[in-house]
Amino acid sequence: MPDTIDMVDKILTDLKKVGGVEACAAASRDGLLIRGILQKEQLAESIAAMSATMLGAAETATIEFGKGIPQRVIVETANGRLIAAGAGPKALLIVIVNSETGLGLILLELEKAATKLKELLA
Amino acid sequence: MVETGIPKLDEFLNGGIPKGKSLIYYIQPGVEGEVFGMQTVYNALKKGGNCVLVVSSTIPDILKGQFKEFGWDIQPYVNRLFCVDAYNPLIGAPSNEKYIVSNPDNIEGFNKIIIGLIKELPPSTIVFGSLSTIMDLCGEKETIEAVREWNKMAMLYDHIMVYNFTAWPYSEETLKLIKGELFNAVISIGGIAERVIFGQYFGILKSDWAKEIKKSMLFRVLRPGGIKLYIPKILVTGPFDSGKSTFVHALSTRAISVDRLGTTIAMDHGHVDYKGFSADIFGTPGQERFDPIIKLLSGESMGVFLIVDSTNPTDFIRAKQMLEITKSYGLPYVVVANKQDLPGALTPEEIRSQFNLPEDVPIVPAVAKDRKGVFEAFEVLIDKITGGT
Repeated sequence: MPDTIDMVDKILTDLKKVGGVEACAAASRDGLLIRGILQKEQLAESIAAMSATMLGAAETATIEFGKGIPQRVIVETANGRLIAAGAGPKALLIVIVNSETGLGLILLELEKAATKLKELLA
Repeated sequence: MVETGIPKLDEFLNGGIPKGKSLIYYIQPGVEGEVFGMQTVYNALKKGGNCVLVVSSTIPDILKGQFKEFGWDIQPYVNRLFCVDAYNPLIGAPSNEKYIVSNPDNIEGFNKIIIGLIKELPPSTIVFGSLSTIMDLCGEKETIEAVREWNKMAMLYDHIMVYNFTAWPYSEETLKLIKGELFNAVISIGGIAERVIFGQYFGILKSDWAKEIKKSMLFRVLRPGGIKLYIPKILVTGPFDSGKSTFVHALSTRAISVDRLGTTIAMDHGHVDYKGFSADIFGTPGQERFDPIIKLLSGESMGVFLIVDSTNPTDFIRAKQMLEITKSYGLPYVVVANKQDLPGALTPEEIRSQFNLPEDVPIVPAVAKDRKGVFEAFEVLIDKITGGT
């Protein structure tokens, strides 16, 4: 049982190593924090809840339009970006990226990490 | 009677550990369990008792430092805290404690000091920082025989014995004895990774003085703070404009909301630290067009606050409907009769009859904007969630 937690930590640690990633977290679809690598744990809980809401709201909107499930939600601000991507039916991954780095590699790594997390929680 | 200092555990144990009894914290490897013994030490000291701390897995000064990490100042009580050093001699370092086990790899060394202390001190709480370390050094059979003797002596001299024990893969027989007959009470501490709730729990495996309550409590270890009972999700729901966001903010130590044009469009999220409990609160939007979001967020909740506007009985139908949407039937829930300060507010009894609520559903009158009734409601709900029955 603690092994699963270690494995989630491993996925997040790997994701955190990607250039430009400032923080990352895994959350359940219903907004509970599973694990997070952030400066402040308190922030992680709110971010998990909000990101799950955003992704859920986006899914509801696109499905209504007959456009299927969104691959991710990207929020851009002047100082950085927040990306939330689904990882199977139970979980999602959240990364916070600085504003300088291109998203190509990050999205690729996020996709890989999401697949791993999905397998892990299946 | 000495309290363990662990929230809810004392209640389950009918107030704590009676004199002459022994209790073991049976900890699964990989779980943060040693803090249970420490919290009991700090609590016993704070309540004015004498304490003996048998330190066998680290240098006593380091262990004393760990108390500070949890925010527990033991300095005022040092004259009532007796440390038995069974670590420094092992690594060949000098010790500045009064009581020293000079050969910690031989159970006789422990026997001499422990039995001496049991006879010499007035009734105290004797806590073993790690019984498993002693077992590793002195052998399983030898340690068990010694513990049997210590518990017997402690009973005669009215001491309370508390052990931290990490359940490494010892022999079946040893573990069975420990979980079975060797102690008056066994508290099991483990980890879970069920669905998406990752956490640690404790529960009473055995207790020969209190009714055994088969219930597991989730907990978190906070620095500072120590052991807090953890409730991952409490839902706050109710019709439009009933005061859900106000309630979440009034209750929470810190909270955020997604509000536009004065109404919640996504959710409220708050965190409560109150009376040994640590809980995350999720507030839903109230308007019908946001129902998909409510469904999304309401999974895995452990309890529900249903907020109603006491001046607006026409909303009660929607309130009931929201319990349905959140799939909350079957979960413990409390109705918060908000806006009691406004003219025309119905009393809880009037709400019960108009709403057609069963007698066992608590209705708590509240004025969320003035933080009135908010914590009362929290206590009532926590009681329903953690209640022993």
